[in-house]
Formats: sequence, structure tokens, C-alpha cells
Amino acid sequence: MADSEALFAAHNQKVFKYLCRAVGHVENARDLTQEVFLRASRSQATTNGDGSAWLFRIARNMALDHYRSRARHPEASALTDDGTRPASQDIDLAVNRALDALSPVDRDVFLLREVAGLGYEDISRACDLTVDAVRSRIHRTRLHLRDQLAAPIATCRTMAVTRSVRQHED
Amino acid sequence: MKNNGEVISAFLDDEPFAPEDLVNALSEPAGRTLLIDLVMLRRVVQPAVPPSSMRAASPAPRVRWQVAAAAAALFVSLAGGYFAGHYRASPAFVEAPPATRVVQASPFVPPGGHQ
Repeated sequence: MADSEALFAAHNQKVFKYLCRAVGHVENARDLTQEVFLRASRSQATTNGDGSAWLFRIARNMALDHYRSRARHPEASALTDDGTRPASQDIDLAVNRALDALSPVDRDVFLLREVAGLGYEDISRACDLTVDAVRSRIHRTRLHLRDQLAAPIATCRTMAVTRSVRQHED
Repeated sequence: MKNNGEVISAFLDDEPFAPEDLVNALSEPAGRTLLIDLVMLRRVVQPAVPPSSMRAASPAPRVRWQVAAAAAALFVSLAGGYFAGHYRASPAFVEAPPATRVVQASPFVPPGGHQ
């Protein structure tokens, strides 16, 4: 049981952030994160490495279940589209839409790398892929999202340049 | 084997790559632009989580039980200490116990016979 507590301490935030993007809703992500660790603590499975691949396999399955149930029972979006949102919410919405358009495997491989910070080896175990397949999927998805999210990327680049100039002037 | 984009991706992800491949990839303006765009993409896709949500999930149920058990033990020990102290401070414990024998003392006479 001490192992499950160590697992929780080490991966709680990563799982939560991954699920935030995977399901696109903070409250649902919080509930699912609790469920992931509950299932992990009940499981008697032995894990390889630090257990992150095993844990994210559970998280991934739960995100997929959530997706399927959401497809059956569509819920109201947390963000309204009335044009009164701050820019950060616009970016968030654009990112969620671009991620929704990906295939489940590409989305998970990408999010496990970019948001959860897993290495290719752990991603390959979590998603039942070879490391080479993970490498090429990540790169292909990045190129696709680079096109889809050109505007938010340009905004982010401008903000980074402005910040850099300010720091230089200070 | 890998194209320039994959080499840049591997560099970003701290995965193995051949240094000369990265030099080749970044020698072109398109490669440098791609590197910057991918760094920005990484920033863009990070979820904007409100600070109040960063607690994500409360500790595992077992941890909650341990905290509850520790709180209960603390309460029982404090309450027990209070009642034990209250009982000891009652008048029955303040009065001296009855004497079990009486010692008769003779008057003091200093050596030489005079006071």
C-alpha cells in the first residue's frame, strides 16, 4: 500500500493534467484522477519501472470510456461561445477542438508526451506501440497541430518575444 | 533514417539522436522555425488549471483513514488527560491522609543544661 501512496505522490499532478486535456474538463478530470488512483490501489498487478506506464494505461482507458459515454450522452460545453471569453479561454477552446479531431491513439501519445511528460519507452508500454511508432506518431501529430493551432502558437511566440524584450530592457 | 523533423522532436523530448543530424536539421531556417514552433506548441497545449484545482485529487482513501485515526487518538488522549486531571484536582485528593501513628517529642535541652 505504501507503493500506491508513493505512486500517488509521484504521478498525481501528471495524471490530472493529462486527463484535463484528454477529457477537456477540469472537474471531470479531478473525478477521473481519483478513480485512477482508487483502481490502482485496488489492483494487485505488478509493475515494471516506476509504474507510470501502468498508471497511465489505466488513465488512458478511463479517458476513452469517458469519451465513449460522452458520445452517447453529449454534455453542455463548459465554455460558452458568446465571444466574451478571455484570450486564454479562446486558446484553450481551440486546443481542445484540435485535440478532439485527432484519433484517440494519436491524441493519447501526444498528450502523454507533452502534458504528462512520459518518455517514449513508457508511452510505448502505456499504448501498446513500438518506440518507433511512438516517435513517428508524436512527430506527425506535432506537425498536424502546428498547422491547426497556428494562431495560438503565433500569439504565444509574440508574448515570448515581448517578455524577452522587457527582460532585456530591465 | 530519421527526417529533420523527427530529429528536432527527439531533441525536444530528450530522446537519443545523432548530434550531426541535429546540426543538419538546424542549419536550415525551416528547421529552426520548426524548433521554435514546437516549443510554443508545448506551451500552448498545457492545460490552464485554476490553482484551486491543482489539488487534483485528495489523498488516497487509506491516507484519509490514517488521518482520521490519528485525530481520534489525539482526541481520546486529550479527553482522557483532561478527565484524569479533573479527578485528581478534586477535594478528596487535596486533603492530607489521616495519621497512622503519633510521635511524642520531648522538650529540647541543650548540652550543659541551660537554654
